[in-house]
Amino acid sequence: MKRRDFLRKGIVAGVAASTLGFSSCKREKQSLNFDKLQESLVSDELTVESVPDLVAVMGGEPDVMLNKALETLGGIEQYIKKGQSVVVKPNIGWDRKPEYAANTNPILVGALVKKCLAAGASKVIVFDHTCDNWIKCYKNSGIEDAVKAAGGTMIPGNDERYYKDVTLPRGINLKETKIHEALLDADVWINVPILKNHGGAKMTIAMKNYMGIVWDRGFFHGNDLQQCIADSCTWEKKPVLNVIDAYRVMRRNGPQGKSIDDVSILKTLIISPDIVAADTAAVQFFNQVEKMLLEDVGHIGKGESHQLGTTDLEKLNIKRIRL
Amino acid sequence: MNKLKNLRVITALFFILLITLFFVDFKNLLPTKIHGVLHLQLVPAILAGSVLVVIFLLLLTFFFGRVYCSFICPAGIFQDIFIRFSKRGHLKKNKRKRRFSYYKPSNILRYSLLGLATVLLLFGSTHLLLYLDPYSNFGRMAANLFRPVVIFGNNLLADHLMAKDNYALYHVSIYNVTTAALIASIAIFLLFGILSVIRGRLFCNTLCPVGGLLSLFSRYSLFRISFDKETCNNCGLCERTCKAECINSKEQTVDMSRCVGCFNCLSSCKKRNAIHYRFAPVFKKQTVEKTEIQTTLESRRSFLALSGTILATAPILHSCGSKQSNGSKPILILPPGAVNLKRFNEKCTACHLCVAKCPNQIIQPAGLEYGLDFLLKPRLVFKHGYCNYRCTICSEVCPNGALRTLTKKEKMQTQIGIAHFEKELCIVYRFETDCGACSEHCPTQAVKMVPYKDSLRIPLVTPDICIGCGGCEYICPVHPQKAIRVIADVEQGVAKLPNFEKVEEIEDIDFGF
Repeated sequence: MKRRDFLRKGIVAGVAASTLGFSSCKREKQSLNFDKLQESLVSDELTVESVPDLVAVMGGEPDVMLNKALETLGGIEQYIKKGQSVVVKPNIGWDRKPEYAANTNPILVGALVKKCLAAGASKVIVFDHTCDNWIKCYKNSGIEDAVKAAGGTMIPGNDERYYKDVTLPRGINLKETKIHEALLDADVWINVPILKNHGGAKMTIAMKNYMGIVWDRGFFHGNDLQQCIADSCTWEKKPVLNVIDAYRVMRRNGPQGKSIDDVSILKTLIISPDIVAADTAAVQFFNQVEKMLLEDVGHIGKGESHQLGTTDLEKLNIKRIRL
Repeated sequence: MNKLKNLRVITALFFILLITLFFVDFKNLLPTKIHGVLHLQLVPAILAGSVLVVIFLLLLTFFFGRVYCSFICPAGIFQDIFIRFSKRGHLKKNKRKRRFSYYKPSNILRYSLLGLATVLLLFGSTHLLLYLDPYSNFGRMAANLFRPVVIFGNNLLADHLMAKDNYALYHVSIYNVTTAALIASIAIFLLFGILSVIRGRLFCNTLCPVGGLLSLFSRYSLFRISFDKETCNNCGLCERTCKAECINSKEQTVDMSRCVGCFNCLSSCKKRNAIHYRFAPVFKKQTVEKTEIQTTLESRRSFLALSGTILATAPILHSCGSKQSNGSKPILILPPGAVNLKRFNEKCTACHLCVAKCPNQIIQPAGLEYGLDFLLKPRLVFKHGYCNYRCTICSEVCPNGALRTLTKKEKMQTQIGIAHFEKELCIVYRFETDCGACSEHCPTQAVKMVPYKDSLRIPLVTPDICIGCGGCEYICPVHPQKAIRVIADVEQGVAKLPNFEKVEEIEDIDFGF
């Protein structure tokens, strides 16, 4: 390598590393930046550690995997600032116990609420517009207890009175809908779906989880479900993260499941700010256990057309971690 | 002697408070077991076939008179509250309190109603009993009037708290108070209110079939209210305080067939000892009051005569009723545990406890859409919800045994109806877009999405494993006629268990991307 090249690269790396260091770990001392520079100088190679676009963790308990994934993303402080009010939106659609994998894992939800509060969130609210009786869902999913224990607040989502009109200018079929006021009021929200087979939408993951923030789901079903799901995701307030729970996975008879026989324990977690990429990765992961083509899960492709993200995972910086 | 009245007041408060709280407990916070106290109610006990309870209550009456009416019956206690707090119940200065006065019994009315209700019941119709049974009437008031008031109060408070970011309470919308139920409840509320204020326990001694039945036993009760003829100065205080209007102070007689055992007369007596509640069997007494015997004989005659006419007319009445239910009218979807339409109709007196207890508010009192036979009877409506797969509360609380108690396992296989799919109305068929809302809500996957065109899937119903919970009908987005609807079973069946197949376990899974 020529000296000129070396110098040029060194300067670029130094600038990149320092800016990254600044943005990713504000509280840490600046000396860290020079460690990175030092490394690249010693190894004579440039490895700019940027924040990955998508992190997948496998082989741990839900809370452990969450910690690892958030750490890899540079900490939840990247997404939640001190004093912000947060909504965590799991899937609590069904009156089922956690083993049935019909609802987001309560340990994961509890851990996430705790993380948000530790990051200085002013309050963390959790709700879902459930399918079964909401009180039974909240209770039997284990989520109500987990959220309360973590210091969050469960609020009802069962009544039209809580939902307020929003317009979706980019929507094709769904141009306006009613969204829960807690989300309208919140500074940020985190989408925490569970990965499941779904009789209607083929799969329910992060994009489909939007159906739990709106009031009138009947409109979705009556006006091209797949398009409406994608349209709903064009709402201007996007989740800062999509945390996909694939610890227990309902492989058949979704979204409710007939019994525990439909469930496999796969101990996986996928996180990304890119909702389309997260869903794409989740479908490809699911495809290993049950055949599922990405193009059949229509709303994901339609989401890409809405420029909500990319299905081309090759283009992304993905971190895969086995515990 | 005041002790008896105190005992009565305490017992009465216990029953009415517990029963009312159980009915208005819209969050089901109280233990379900409280329904046990309802099994002491006479009409439910008769319909549920609780022989021991019925014998106990009849013996109780034979021993102590109609104490049931003042101690246990919520409708009676409810009227007492009205009487207590009405002007008539208050002590007025310089005026004697509770100005009731003796009236002759309306035997023809009370025994003909009792006879008619009995005969209709024997013919399998609860027509008259349903409208006259005191417990059921009280239940309807509690479920359709008191409960909404409590919910309304809860909502005011909940909305106020929520505005302050406090989510301790939540707002509850009411879907299960129907017009027919509201009219019936307001009517009986007014009837109880007005009648009790003007004429005390007139309802209990004319219209009430329980009062009528018990009067046949209390007439000969061993413990009786009676005068000490030498001490009594005919002041009439006891007569004026008697809400059953059964004390004739001039003649110094007490009609025990109408006395509801409130014991107010005992404490009203200024002489204290002139009126007693004591062991005084009729057969022991040589000087049985003439009037009493006369009324007894008279009533017996009219009772027999009326029973005869009723017997003749009842079959006609009954066939009129059953024709309506067999005709073009739709069959109502009965709550799980009802077994079949006939049995249910014979046992349910529409107390609306199941209506009040259903957490999804899908049990709703019928209007006239299913004919007069089913007016006010609870049936399932899948407009705002559907039957929870594992919930058994309605079958647990029914005091009449109109709903058989189901275990969770039994409930999950109790078929109350079967889903019928009309492909031509379905979104998938009409617009060729994904839907599957019905299958999504099906707990047994009796409604399953099967391959249709390309990647499209369409619902397919497997009737054998369908339990008719109505999840599919409730959620179907097609309006106004749903593409999938539950048609009631006339005879509730046992659904087959769905096939459970364990997914193949996966070893060494990779990320796949």
